[in-house]
Amino acid sequence: MKKTFTINISGTVFHIEEDAYEVLQKYLVNLKNHFGADEEGKEILSDIEARIAEIFSEKSDDEKKVVTLDWVNQVIETMGTPEDFAEEEGEEEEVYVTSPKRKRRLYRDPERRVLGGVCGGLGAYFNMDPVILRIIFVVLFFVTTGAALLAYIVLWIAVPKARTTAQRLEMRGEEATVKNIEKSIREEVNEVKESYRKFKNSDTYTKGKKSVEGAGDVTYNIFKLILKVAVIIIGIILILSGFFGLLGMISSLAIGQSFVQGWPLVWGPEIHFPDFFNYFVEPGTVTFGMIAVGLLAGIPLLAMLYIGSKLVFRYKSNNTAIGLSMVGVWLIALVSLVVVSASQLGNFKDQGSAVISNTLPCDSCQTYTLDMAEDKYENYAELDWDLNNLKAVVVNGEEVILGKPKLDVEKSGGETFVVSVKKSSRGRTRGEAREYASDIIYNYQVNDSTLLFDPWFLLEEDGKWRDQEVQITIKVPEGKAIHLSEEMIEIIYDIENVSNTWDGDMVGKTWEMKPEGLTMKELSESTEDRKELPENTEEL
Amino acid sequence: MKLENTKAQMRKGVLEYCILLVLDGKPLYASDIIKALKEAKMIVVEGTLYPLLTRLKNAGLLAYRWEESTQGPPRKYYELTDTGRKFLTELEGSWSELVKAVEKIKTNKA
Repeated sequence: MKKTFTINISGTVFHIEEDAYEVLQKYLVNLKNHFGADEEGKEILSDIEARIAEIFSEKSDDEKKVVTLDWVNQVIETMGTPEDFAEEEGEEEEVYVTSPKRKRRLYRDPERRVLGGVCGGLGAYFNMDPVILRIIFVVLFFVTTGAALLAYIVLWIAVPKARTTAQRLEMRGEEATVKNIEKSIREEVNEVKESYRKFKNSDTYTKGKKSVEGAGDVTYNIFKLILKVAVIIIGIILILSGFFGLLGMISSLAIGQSFVQGWPLVWGPEIHFPDFFNYFVEPGTVTFGMIAVGLLAGIPLLAMLYIGSKLVFRYKSNNTAIGLSMVGVWLIALVSLVVVSASQLGNFKDQGSAVISNTLPCDSCQTYTLDMAEDKYENYAELDWDLNNLKAVVVNGEEVILGKPKLDVEKSGGETFVVSVKKSSRGRTRGEAREYASDIIYNYQVNDSTLLFDPWFLLEEDGKWRDQEVQITIKVPEGKAIHLSEEMIEIIYDIENVSNTWDGDMVGKTWEMKPEGLTMKELSESTEDRKELPENTEEL
Repeated sequence: MKLENTKAQMRKGVLEYCILLVLDGKPLYASDIIKALKEAKMIVVEGTLYPLLTRLKNAGLLAYRWEESTQGPPRKYYELTDTGRKFLTELEGSWSELVKAVEKIKTNKA
């Protein structure tokens, strides 16, 4: 038992068996590709269909009424395939073919395939041995940690397989190798020159009557040429950017080490996502966020690769479903990233702080010198991001986040110097925020009349960044003074004084607390000793 | 150089001439032309003919009209136009010249 279809060929109705139908269908599509979709091609095809209908009618005059596979094969034999036409017309097909020459297109070669036939097809396109291309791909795969594989997959999906003979002919079309692209551009240039010359020699030009038509022809040709070159250039740019973008993305996402830095085309992000995210986000969300970011950035890059290769290699493809689902996945990634970020904002909802105040013991001290302690982290390996007075360093194999404290000077209510350190943070709740705040580690030392401030505060191991801050306030009693060392510029922040002196100009000077506020002390004999202090600390 | 190719090209060179010859005097429809050409072993597969017919028609050498058929749908009958007839006369001239030329070369050689 066989299933049959009813078909209409050139106005006559036939019943046709399923397998026969498929073969006939393929054959006709094949012919259509061969003769082209223009008026002439359509006419030829309809003539051929009329002939096929006639042959079938002759056959079904007998008791048999159904078109079988056998008949279809006979018809194909009588009418001939595009390959037969090429043979019959001899090799120099072009002599009679006035229609546009068959240009080479990129297909996947199913006859020379290892995976998807991409290398086989590229080999046919560039007249190269596919083995060489395969080796290049494998090497690229290792060098680029997988970006080449993605490129391969894009081509696998996007480039159509050469199924029919017409497509196979196109795949090996005598036109358009890399050399021929150049050739066709040169031809194009000549055409432009030619039409310009004609235009110049034409009566209309010499008589001074400007022929719009002639001028239009020239500009049209020039425009066509520019467009062609532009398309190829854009295609190449798209391929390169897509490829290097993927390279950068993969290297920064997967191995946390930027490959692309120092390459001529740098699209590599400056920061390494996994490390970077870990400081801000809960570990579970990091992976999720990374996948989302990967898709968000990766899909447009893949699309660039696809469009670029399509522009350069001119292959036909019809993957609307894949394209649409890519767009869908991209939107989903976008939405989930927004949702995740929003939920992360909750972690910054409330604020909490912890304040520790110390009264300095030295009652007799008139002047305290404020100085920076040695930067213990200066020589540690720094991770490459540094933002908003925040940096991460590796200490004994552990990553630590460091933040810059801020220092202010106020008038003290009592008779003594007071140093208060206010640690504050944000968190999901007030309690959580306070906990984060008290986890901040910040130290300063008191040596006689010198206060040494650590240049950084620390977040504990695995500490998450929650906008932690450390605010140091020095309370100076009336009549007493402080000396700011030059290095204090690093942490002092908007200290109020009577002369409205800017922070940068306050350092290296001694300031006395007068009833009206902090006042610069006139240079006296004491300055000489003070000046030595910064240098001393540096040597420590 | 393949023998088949050379043969095919020789055939191809005179195929248009043959088509015009077949149509000289009486309008025919595609299948009749095919039959005539196949009998003379001028074509192997029928598909080759249709592009040629279309091209000759577009070049103004042939014209066609539809004629009702006793069996099946209407048929496309091709006939020579005036230009086509002139063209054919020219071709006939050059064909006999060609034949003479080849003959001459052959006899001179012998």
